[in-house]
Amino acid sequence: MIGERDPVTMHDEDARAPAWAASDAPTRTPGVRGRRQSPLLRIRGSLGIGWKIGLATAGVAAIVIVWTVKAASTTDASSVLPTPAATWSALVRLQRDGTLGADLWASLQRVLIGYTISVAIGVVLGIAIGTFASIEAFFEAQIGFLRYIPASALTPLFLIWLGIGEAPKIWLIVVGTVFYNVLMIADVARAVPRELLDASYTLGAGRTTVVRRVILRHCVPGIIDVARINLAAAWLMLVVAELLAAQEGLAYQITRAQRFRAVDTMFALLIVFGLIGLLSDLALRFIRNVTSPWARP
Amino acid sequence: MGAAVIPARIQTVRPADVVAKLRVEGVSKVYRRRRQAVTALESVNLHVHEGELVSLVGASGCGKSTLLSIVGGLVEATDGEVRVDGDRVVGPGADRGMVFQGYSLYPWKTVAENVSFGLEVARWPKAKRAERVDELLGVVGLRDVRDALPKELSGGMKQRVAIARALAPEPDLLLLDEPFGALDAQTKLHLHDFLLTVWRQLGATILMVTHDVEEAIYLSSRIYVMSARPGRIAEEIEVPFGTVRGSSIKRDRRFLDLRDELHESIG
Repeated sequence: MIGERDPVTMHDEDARAPAWAASDAPTRTPGVRGRRQSPLLRIRGSLGIGWKIGLATAGVAAIVIVWTVKAASTTDASSVLPTPAATWSALVRLQRDGTLGADLWASLQRVLIGYTISVAIGVVLGIAIGTFASIEAFFEAQIGFLRYIPASALTPLFLIWLGIGEAPKIWLIVVGTVFYNVLMIADVARAVPRELLDASYTLGAGRTTVVRRVILRHCVPGIIDVARINLAAAWLMLVVAELLAAQEGLAYQITRAQRFRAVDTMFALLIVFGLIGLLSDLALRFIRNVTSPWARP
Repeated sequence: MGAAVIPARIQTVRPADVVAKLRVEGVSKVYRRRRQAVTALESVNLHVHEGELVSLVGASGCGKSTLLSIVGGLVEATDGEVRVDGDRVVGPGADRGMVFQGYSLYPWKTVAENVSFGLEVARWPKAKRAERVDELLGVVGLRDVRDALPKELSGGMKQRVAIARALAPEPDLLLLDEPFGALDAQTKLHLHDFLLTVWRQLGATILMVTHDVEEAIYLSSRIYVMSARPGRIAEEIEVPFGTVRGSSIKRDRRFLDLRDELHESIG
């Protein structure tokens, strides 16, 4: 579409545009004022439901087509790039022999426990830091320092300290996400309007009531959003943990598949990761909208 | 309730030596900004009698909102003191209800829950709470939207909720900080008459900050004019109209003269 102006307009523009005008100065068609906006390429435009579904389907189809074509044209596809069909049958096989369920549960459990601890710390510390300048001053330097230590670099240390059981994996997830949660929830708490707090004080509320019934309540949708965004980091840390020392789990299964060059199994497991992410994202959005309909855009 | 209160208020202007509901005595506020002292308020004195509606007008930046926040207990004065019924103000409390320009309603609470908040904090029993909320929603004419969320209301309605919420715990004093500043002209005029009705019905004592001169004359029994840098009281003006006012007074000679005079002194 770009560069596809009709010659009459071009001429018109040349005739009217002063010498200093930029080349993308608005063109003028006689009898019409203003620039017509494209429905699909309008900046921050909104689409009809038909267009949305159509474009989403096209986007997914494009990937599947590229994948299929590429896999079909690759020699020795089974050990380099499996076809979608081969990936699907690998997924079915994993499901049938029960490893998928066991690995999924093992990984899910680690993320659930670790990330719950991380969010809990994030809520308590984040709200406290975002609310009280004294607590912020106390923690600022430590968090500023600690958050730049890559959590994955702590893996060997955690293995020495905590052994090779579940504990180091869970704590790796906690450490890998907790700073993001604390700092982002602190920002959520800082975003509570000052006037809302002042209004609460002049309604007779004390400090505890304001924190509990105003700040915390106002932060609920923001906290859920932060938890949703940082969940990806929890899965990242899970993979780091399972790659190093584990007997079961989705990421452990991927390294195992590598030994047999079972690329189709690896692809199947990657798709499982993607689906878990997608589902948890939708679930958290749903919870946000149910608990805080007032904050729905 | 209303009828009994009106006669008492006809004689709104009383000599200052009668014990006032609110007394602001020698209040100063100095901010320190990068080692420089900025005097926002300099020995301000004012008073508001029981049942009076007093306005504080002045150009933006003259410290009138700061002064109101000091009365509300939200900001500490550098010097001087604020007394309500003789008690010294040391912090915020439900006895000095406050309404802000930005509505500041709890977005997750319905209209009724917003109005009820101050009563819950004060541990009113549930039945009394419901009764009081219903009474106030009647006064502000919002019974129909009691279960609506703030985001479903217009600006004028939100401000009525905020006023009802501030009045709910039966404050001694209602402090209004440019309450109609964010509203369109039409809604503003409606809310002026609304405020006068509420004031008369509930017998409230009100101190209002505004930069709108006509609003101040139309609503108040007395006006304090503030000058800027440093903020101090430049003038005190008695408004020569009774408590029961119609919009016809806006064409009154005295109204127009007062308006011109105030515009001049605020600059």
